[in-house]
Amino acid sequence: MERLSADADDDFGVERSTIGTAMLSLEDPIMEEGEESSSTSGGEPSVFAPESIPPRPFREPASSKYAALPWQGHFDEEHDIIIPATGEAFHVYVAGSQGPVVFCLHGGGYSGLSFALVAGKMKEKVRVVAIDMRGHGQSRTNDDSDLSAETLCSDVLNVIHTMYGQNPPAFILIGHSMGGAIAVRVAAKRVLPTLAGLVVVDVVEGTAMASLIHMQKILSSRQMHFQSPEQAIMWTVKGGGALRNIDSARISVPSTLKFDEQKQCYVWRTPLQDSEAYWRGWYEGLSDVFLSCPVAKLLLLAGTDRLDRSLTIGQMQGKFQMIVVRHSGHAIQEDEPEEFANVVLNFIARNRIGTFGSEIPGLRRPIQLRSSN
Amino acid sequence: MPSYADVDRQIEQLSECKPLSEIEVKNLCDQARAILVEEWNVQPVKCPVTVCGDIHGQFHDLIELFRIGGKAPDTNYLFMGDYVDRGYYSVETVSLLVALKVRYRDRITILRGNHESRQITQVYGFYDECLRKYGNANVWKYFTDLFDYLPLTALIEREIFCLHGGLSPSLDTLDHIRALDRIQEVPHEGPMCDLLWSDPDDRCGWGISPRGAGYTFGQDIAEQFNHTNGLNLVARAHQLVMEGYNWCQDKNVVTVFSAPNYCYRCGNMAAIMEIDETMRRSFLQFEPAPRQSEPDVTRKTPDYFL
Repeated sequence: MERLSADADDDFGVERSTIGTAMLSLEDPIMEEGEESSSTSGGEPSVFAPESIPPRPFREPASSKYAALPWQGHFDEEHDIIIPATGEAFHVYVAGSQGPVVFCLHGGGYSGLSFALVAGKMKEKVRVVAIDMRGHGQSRTNDDSDLSAETLCSDVLNVIHTMYGQNPPAFILIGHSMGGAIAVRVAAKRVLPTLAGLVVVDVVEGTAMASLIHMQKILSSRQMHFQSPEQAIMWTVKGGGALRNIDSARISVPSTLKFDEQKQCYVWRTPLQDSEAYWRGWYEGLSDVFLSCPVAKLLLLAGTDRLDRSLTIGQMQGKFQMIVVRHSGHAIQEDEPEEFANVVLNFIARNRIGTFGSEIPGLRRPIQLRSSN
Repeated sequence: MPSYADVDRQIEQLSECKPLSEIEVKNLCDQARAILVEEWNVQPVKCPVTVCGDIHGQFHDLIELFRIGGKAPDTNYLFMGDYVDRGYYSVETVSLLVALKVRYRDRITILRGNHESRQITQVYGFYDECLRKYGNANVWKYFTDLFDYLPLTALIEREIFCLHGGLSPSLDTLDHIRALDRIQEVPHEGPMCDLLWSDPDDRCGWGISPRGAGYTFGQDIAEQFNHTNGLNLVARAHQLVMEGYNWCQDKNVVTVFSAPNYCYRCGNMAAIMEIDETMRRSFLQFEPAPRQSEPDVTRKTPDYFL
């Protein structure tokens, strides 16, 4: 409620002042409606007399409320990882200096900065690496349009091998949406001997496959051109609703845009509508592959109704941990970074994943030893 | 001898899947609490008795269970928890079981499952269902306050130990369980949490549970627990098993699951375990009850991005 009334104030200020049209275009029409009713429901006109208006508290103008913010302070550094065999450059953001590596794969159309806020909250205890996937963010590859599951999986493995060589530390793979599907498929290959945990964020085969037929419509209903990154940030939080947390959107959204010289405006960096040929390949068979992964597994969902048959059975047989984060949209790591970070750190601690891997054997003690504690 | 006219009428109404009024639920929970507070953490139960696993708000399947196993109180029942969440009729299901408990306290035993908790029911449906059916959360509060009083385990004729989840590394004797202070919300960890969350496992020893709460325990643990306590079986629920029941760990442990086609999508059988007056065990399997109108199981398509 506080936020709503503050927004209404903002709109009020815009209307009363002579701020240019570029700024007016930033205002959310829904909020203008709210302002309308609050100004007409006053009844007594005298409360709007200049002498009865209290001094307005300082608030950022709308233009800076949606301004882009740097990732610095959340991540520590950024690097380009050049794959020797192909010369392709994958952009990674890293944070933290100790503990196991939490390796993050973003969803389709997002970027590594989708994990900026959680990186900042986890980096005291773990190392966080977030990659810009092929065709996303600042990664540059020989074929940015090849988003097939197979290619994305080998990209992830190539980056890990290039970064860590023959002696990788213990890993937890985290993937959101498309990235979740890729994380599962990487884990299922069983080629990362130090992989100790798998965290999948709000993607389930049954519901993903069912929603694919709506996806082109959802994609085509997106706003495609923006005068400024601020406009795209505002659209993402208010118009599109893809993100609910403005603090995260201000960091992550700019990296999902590129400037179109011809049209002289900002457009989405990744032409997702052209990747349809790969969608089924990301999700088909995902639930059974997930259940077969030989590591500790956590499924983070934004709603309970998203489980399909395989995962309902798997969950009811106790094969993985599931946590439902309420009041979050699809990008849980961006919408609820605090809870996300706590959940992941608890998962790592509970499964005793240290710098060098799972420390499970210590727990498997006979009953007498336990009860003598 | 108190009059049971009210509760008899309520049982009849609930058997038709019609929920009670808010004030009736409050009174029912008050009466049930007075009964449950007298029960033990390890509640003694006599044979013959029929042992049941998870129900999860699948009301029509509970009625089917009574049809297969015999009506209460003609058949004695022991339910091992998870009455609410997931199914569409948690309110009617738990109301009926609590009403039966109030009416026939010595003929029905209801234990606590991991879903009989304030936290879990807010995620998995019971809370939302109460809001939907009563317009406020009072009924949810009456029931979840009552859940704190449910016994954690039961012991049939000193031989069969029954509980929702499984064993705890902190509890090697029944006396340890008897010493717990159970009147509280299910904790996130610790012995009381383990009893409601743990699972048997093919690997020996204790393991970290993939569920995120409780432990896994191997056959060595179950054998030792049964030997130490003079038991011959641990009967538990908590895990979906496709046949409705499943022996494991060389018949030291049996899992009983009584929600057929769990969540209206899993395609599993349900089962109950009858213990007769000579302590002989037999299993009755059953399929989902035929329904006039299937509940709407179409799920809202998430507006996923990719």
